Amino acid sequence: MNILFSLLFLLCTFLLLCVSPDTFLPSILEGASRGASVSVALIANYSIWMGLMRIWEDSGVARSASKLLRPLVKRVFKTDHEEALQTISMNLSVNLLGISGAATPYGIRSAKLLDQTENAEYASAMLFVLNATSLQIIPTSIVSVRVGMLSANPYDIILPTIFASLLSTIVGVALTRLFIRPKTEAKQPSFFFKKVKTRGVSI
Amino acid sequence: MSYFLALLIPSIFLLSFAYALLKNVKVYDSFTEGVKGAVPLILSVFPYIATVMMLTKLLEVSGLQAQLLRWISPLFDFLGIPKEISPLLFMKPLSGSGSIAVLTDILETYGVDSYIARCACVVYGTTDTIFYIGAVYFAGLQRKKLTSALLIALFSYLVGSVFSCFLCRIL
Repeated sequence: MNILFSLLFLLCTFLLLCVSPDTFLPSILEGASRGASVSVALIANYSIWMGLMRIWEDSGVARSASKLLRPLVKRVFKTDHEEALQTISMNLSVNLLGISGAATPYGIRSAKLLDQTENAEYASAMLFVLNATSLQIIPTSIVSVRVGMLSANPYDIILPTIFASLLSTIVGVALTRLFIRPKTEAKQPSFFFKKVKTRGVSI
Repeated sequence: MSYFLALLIPSIFLLSFAYALLKNVKVYDSFTEGVKGAVPLILSVFPYIATVMMLTKLLEVSGLQAQLLRWISPLFDFLGIPKEISPLLFMKPLSGSGSIAVLTDILETYGVDSYIARCACVVYGTTDTIFYIGAVYFAGLQRKKLTSALLIALFSYLVGSVFSCFLCRIL
């Protein structure tokens, strides 16, 4: 990331230096202020969802959800960290429901918890790839954009979106397993593995 | 159906609060305790959000993005992705608000029910904002393996997009 960032930053700055040096500061300032305004908007957004998340925790909903998903999460992420298993389960559940406002706080918390574990590199990469390739079942925001623009058939994109997003998730999970190997393999016998993989992918 | 989608989120709130009351949770205390976590969380990810946004803006203003787009769209074309949606394909991993603007633009230009617009919608729904999620999730971690994870996510995104356009053609 350091290399990529430096490279792109240097290239952009150099180009601007040649073409129009006076736009450099205003544009970088605009970028920064967009970062600031996005962050303020996110504080509002996360306040709502993190309040609700706390209620899920205190009423035991989070525990039940993670109990349900636990075996699956444990095998996909190869971690025994109890709290991380719970936050990952919640991250995946709210992702499936399409509540991205709540998914990110859970994701960040999971990544921080995973960072202390032995298998951090693999597990946090898996978490990132699963989130980046979108797990949402129904693309609600696009459907509402299409409804707003008076589409004759606003829902006909749902099916292709589900298939395409499933494929990108499968590819992402497979590549993560292949290239960022978990350090400690699961203790289960190896014939379990195949079954695990297909189940892992189906989320 | 959009009516049911609109029902989803309020119902989640209603059920969660009702269930918490049944379980004797002090709902007000619990909710505010959760909200308390929002500011520290944003503070910890703010540097990464701001930096990615600055770079995004520079990419746009310097013309590097447009140039990269010109180089890469023959490849997209070869893979069956219409060149009209390559700006969206490029924008989506970088910025959520930016890509929704590009998407709306495409929908308005080509008509909501055109093949190009449908491709754009499916591509949009296939992946999340990869760079933003990467910056935020990996913010301040000790053991990073961001580069390979990022490449994997981008590759999966490309595969998903090619498949999206293919599906729009046959479905």
